[in-house]
Order: sequence, then structure tokens, then C-alpha cells
Amino acid sequence: MKSLPLFLIATLSLTACNRSSLSKPLIAIIVPSQDNPYFKAEADAAVTRAQQLGYRTRVDAHNDDAYRQDNLVDAAIASGAKAIILDNAGSESSISAVRRATKEGIAVFLIDREIQVAGIAKSQIIADNNQGARIVAEEFARATGPTGEYAELLGRESDTNAQIRTTGFHDVLDKIPGLKRVSAQSANWSQSEAFQKTETILQAHGSLAGIIAGNDTMALGAVAAVRSSGRTHVIITGFDGSPDATSAIRSGELQATTMQPAVLISRMAIDQADRFLKTGSTGEPEKQVIPCDLVTRINVDNYRDFEKIK
Amino acid sequence: MNSVSSTLSSSERLAGNGARIALILLRARAILVLLLLVVLFSILAPSFLTGANLSILSKHVAISAILAMGMTFVILSGGIDLSVGSVAGLGGMVAGAILTQGITIGGNTHHPGFFVALLATFFVCLVAGAVNGWLVSRAGVAPFIATLGTLYIARGTALLMSNGKTFPNLAANSPSFAAIGQSFFLHIPTPVWMMFLLFALAAFVAAKTPFGRHVYAVGGNERAARLAGIVVPRVKMYTYLFSALCAGLVGLIIASQLEAAHPATGESFELNAIAAVVLGGTSLMGGRGSIAGSLIGAFVIGVLTDGLVMLGVSEFWQIVIKGVVIVLAVAIDQLQSRLQAKLLPLLLRSTPEAGA
Repeated sequence: MKSLPLFLIATLSLTACNRSSLSKPLIAIIVPSQDNPYFKAEADAAVTRAQQLGYRTRVDAHNDDAYRQDNLVDAAIASGAKAIILDNAGSESSISAVRRATKEGIAVFLIDREIQVAGIAKSQIIADNNQGARIVAEEFARATGPTGEYAELLGRESDTNAQIRTTGFHDVLDKIPGLKRVSAQSANWSQSEAFQKTETILQAHGSLAGIIAGNDTMALGAVAAVRSSGRTHVIITGFDGSPDATSAIRSGELQATTMQPAVLISRMAIDQADRFLKTGSTGEPEKQVIPCDLVTRINVDNYRDFEKIK
Repeated sequence: MNSVSSTLSSSERLAGNGARIALILLRARAILVLLLLVVLFSILAPSFLTGANLSILSKHVAISAILAMGMTFVILSGGIDLSVGSVAGLGGMVAGAILTQGITIGGNTHHPGFFVALLATFFVCLVAGAVNGWLVSRAGVAPFIATLGTLYIARGTALLMSNGKTFPNLAANSPSFAAIGQSFFLHIPTPVWMMFLLFALAAFVAAKTPFGRHVYAVGGNERAARLAGIVVPRVKMYTYLFSALCAGLVGLIIASQLEAAHPATGESFELNAIAAVVLGGTSLMGGRGSIAGSLIGAFVIGVLTDGLVMLGVSEFWQIVIKGVVIVLAVAIDQLQSRLQAKLLPLLLRSTPEAGA
């Protein structure tokens, strides 16, 4: 309740300081959503870094809608942005928007998700989802042991990252003959959907040893479902490294998650945009793949808000 | 009369009986579909028909059933409420904000706890319902547009409250809050009791009170209802207020089950609620339908969803199957009204004999 007036004051003061600094060059930051902690941290980190380096920023969300992303890129072009930091809405469907901005002389830096064409964007800095999936799957298998039944909660099945992650999980888990996947359901990245589906899966499969989830919000839904079923010893892992997931790891309800270095990636993108705008080159190869970190009870205190702090 | 009935041929009598049976079957179609699904899933999934699973299934059904009860009154009165999912999300966020952040008055932060959180949630939801009711009944905005607007307003407000973040660990701050969605009474989950209590209340109000009859009258023929002395705006206002209250309750249940309040909670819940109402045989034109039908409709959707998850059917197929069931339900609804009109002469002719 008290955050609402605080937020209004913050917004007002932001607009006020933006007005006094209209002469500064603009960087447009476009992310998938602002109600997901991961994308929120990603956008916030980019804003902070850009303002440190003397840029104005605007943040928009396309909600995974390529058409809306198109409009937002047009708006960035129209408002005279020098650079666009984009977490795109689809590896194929975003190409034309990136190409259009580049043609207008605006440098585009892709973060978190790649596009299928090279040579248009100035950089594509992405977290290694396949490697991240493999390390968390290894921890999952270590915790469940070599035999048992497990369920998988998939992300939105039309999302590239959902597919890369499940492939990574199975690169590891399918090599262990004793581990059997008895159920695979999409919970569309959503906590309440994961909660209901896990409750039903637990009914159908009484001897479930573990649940491997495609992201943290679904993993936390599974945690709540396992808690309400009264079962113990169900190993659950997530993916992303959200603050809620790290606190569930501390309390022992979540076995592990993969931390995607969202803050690091956003900072790198802004730094490279700055260098490109000043020197005409980023000084880096276009495609940069950043490895993810495994977060377990042992090292959980080294991470905070999608960032390694120790 | 006797001479008339004796002139009825046996074939006409048979046709009359057949028509009557066909109509009864059509009217009971929702419950028939429900039974069919239960039998089907019991055969295909061995653990489907266990007490534990039925209890969890009913808990899932409670979410869309509670929304559907509120929605039924709105639809019966000729309106529609698209905002329930967002209002549920907003309600959960209000509770989450109060439980985790407290209320700041004059620089002092108070942590009022469970009871105040509940009251504040229902208050905020009632405000949303009152806005809907005012827009529809006084400002003359079409229900679809008015509630579409409040859908966005409520969702945006929910996001603004936490700046997009989740309010976590709600149970740590108030153990009794966790009880709303997670506790049991006589081995049945509390949300299921809430669903049945609300059902009893709603069914009683719809069938036995003047207000219930007014809702049907307004939806059936608004002009006639006004001429008969019914205060139409007040009736509409109450339907939207009740719908918003149901949404608030759902928001609380979900926040309590997850022990967290997420601003995107409740997206597309309104569609599930509308689908349950339509499956239950309530006409989207208003004036015709029942609360019991909506409850059965919610069970049809819940059994279908959970059953397909148990069988391990892919998400894509689940969406297609749900769509097919809804389309069939509406198509059969149309068939019923047309068949009824066609069979009326047969029924009327064979009625005297049935009376004799």
C-alpha cells in the first residue's frame, strides 16, 4: 500500500530530471515484460548503467508480442534514440524490426535472446541456456540419485528458451537409464498454473522423486504444491536465479537453480553501446555467449537479484 | 378431452415421449458430459477416482466456480464481467502488500495483520465492482467495454503496487492467511467449502428471493422490467458488486495457496468463468440459466483440465480440446432452443394424455 505513493513520487522525479537532461542522447530499452523479476532486473541494470554513462533512457515491454515490439522499435526511431537495447520477442519474428532500426542508423544491441541472422545487430549477448540447463540437470540427477521417476514443467512451448532448456535437461537426464520422466506439462512460465498442474501430477504419480522446472516461478509453484501435499523428499530445481528462488534455496525447499547473469549482460550491452557510439566499434565479436552459474545451498549467499556479488 | 386423447395414434404418442426424453437429455447435457468425462478418465487414469485426487480436483474447480457464480448473476442480468481475473490479481496484491509492507500512516508503519488485509482486499474489489456497476447502469457504457476498461485498470494498478514484483512469504507474516487456501475442514479443502457455501447462497438468492427474480427479469426484457417497477440500475449494480466480491475471494485463495502475491495472477481467468457459465446452459443474452448449471460447467472444465494433465496430454491439445468442448456446448444450446420450438406441437398434443 505504501509503495504506490512512493512509486508516483519516483516517477515524477524521474520525469523531472529527464526534462532537465533532454539534451543527453537517448537509449531505448525494450524488454519482454516488467512484471517478471528477471526482465525487471535486466531493464533496471541497463537503465542504471546508461544513466551513469550520461544517457537518457526509456523502457518499454513488448509482452512477447512481435507486433507490439515492431511498434516500440518504430517509437524508438521516431523519438531519435541513438541505440536500442532489445530483449527480443522471437528469433525469427524480430529480424525485420532490428533491420529497420539499423537502416535508420540506430545501433541495436540484443540481450538475453538471439536472432537467427548475423550482421544486423551490433552485438548479441546471450546467456548460455543450454549449458545452464545441463548444470542444473546434473545437480538434479545428483540429488534424486540414479533411479526414480521425475516430472518436468516446461515453459511456454512456443518460446525458444523453453525448447533450449528442455533439450539441455534431456542431454543430461536421458543418459541416466534409471531416471524416468513420467510426466511433462507446460505451465506457461506461471506460478499458479505450475501449482495446480503439480498437484495433479503428484496424484497421478505417487513415487515422484523430483520435478525439474524450466524457470523459477514454475519451480516455486511446484514447491507450494509439494508443501500442500505433505510430501517430503521431492527434489525441485528451477532456472533463472530469481530472489524468491534463492530464498527458497536457503530454506531448503528448492534444491538448486541456474543463475542467468542478467545484470552482467545488460551492463555489457550498455558499455558496448557507449563504445560503439563514441568510437564506431564495440571492440567485441557480435555474438557473445555468457555462461550461467549453478546456485545451490552451498553458494547461495554469493548471488543477489540475478547478479554475482561475491 | 377424452375423445382427443383417444384419437392420438400410437406413433404420435411415441414421438411425444421421444421428444420429451430428448429434451430432458439436452437439458441435463452438462451433467451427462461431466459423468462421461469422469467415467472416461477413471478408466484411462487409475488414480483419477481416488479421494485425494477428487479433493485436489475440487480445489482447482473452486477457483473458476467461485468466479462463475458471480459471473452468472452478471450474465443473467444481460451483462458480462471481463474484469474478474484482473480484480482477483489486484485483490491478492492488496492482501500481499498489507501483510508484507504494512500500512504507513503519518510516517508510522503499522502491521495490522490478517483481518485488516481481508477487509482491505474486499473493499478494493468492491470499489472495482462499483466502478463496473456505475459505468454500466448509470453511465450507459456497454458492459463489454466498461469491464474491459476495468480489466486494464485493475491489472495496471496491481503492477504499480509492487512495481511489477511479487510479494513473497505471505505465510511467514501471518500463519492464518495460509489457512484460507491450504487448510482442511472435515478432510475437505477450505476453498471447496467456500465454493459450496457460496453456491448454496447464490442458488437460494437466484431462485427464492425477489432480487433473484429481478435479475432474470432485467436480463429477459429490460424495458418490461423497468415498466414493472424494478429499479434496473440497482439490480445491475448489485450483480457487478457480487462478481467483484467473488473475484476478491479467488485472489485471496490463490495468494494463500502460493503464499505469494504476483501481479499477473488471474490472467484469462474471466474466460474460464464465462466458459463455465456457458457450459452450464446460461444464455449470454441474459434472462435464462442457473447457478447449478455454472457449478457443473466449472466441474466439466476442471475435470477436463486435470484429467488431461494426468494422462500427460500436451498443452497444445489441451487448448484445442477445451475449445471444442465450449463450441459444442454453445452449438447444443442453440440446438436445444430450436428443437424445443419444433417439438412443442408434439409435446402439446401428447400432454393431455399424460395428464389423464
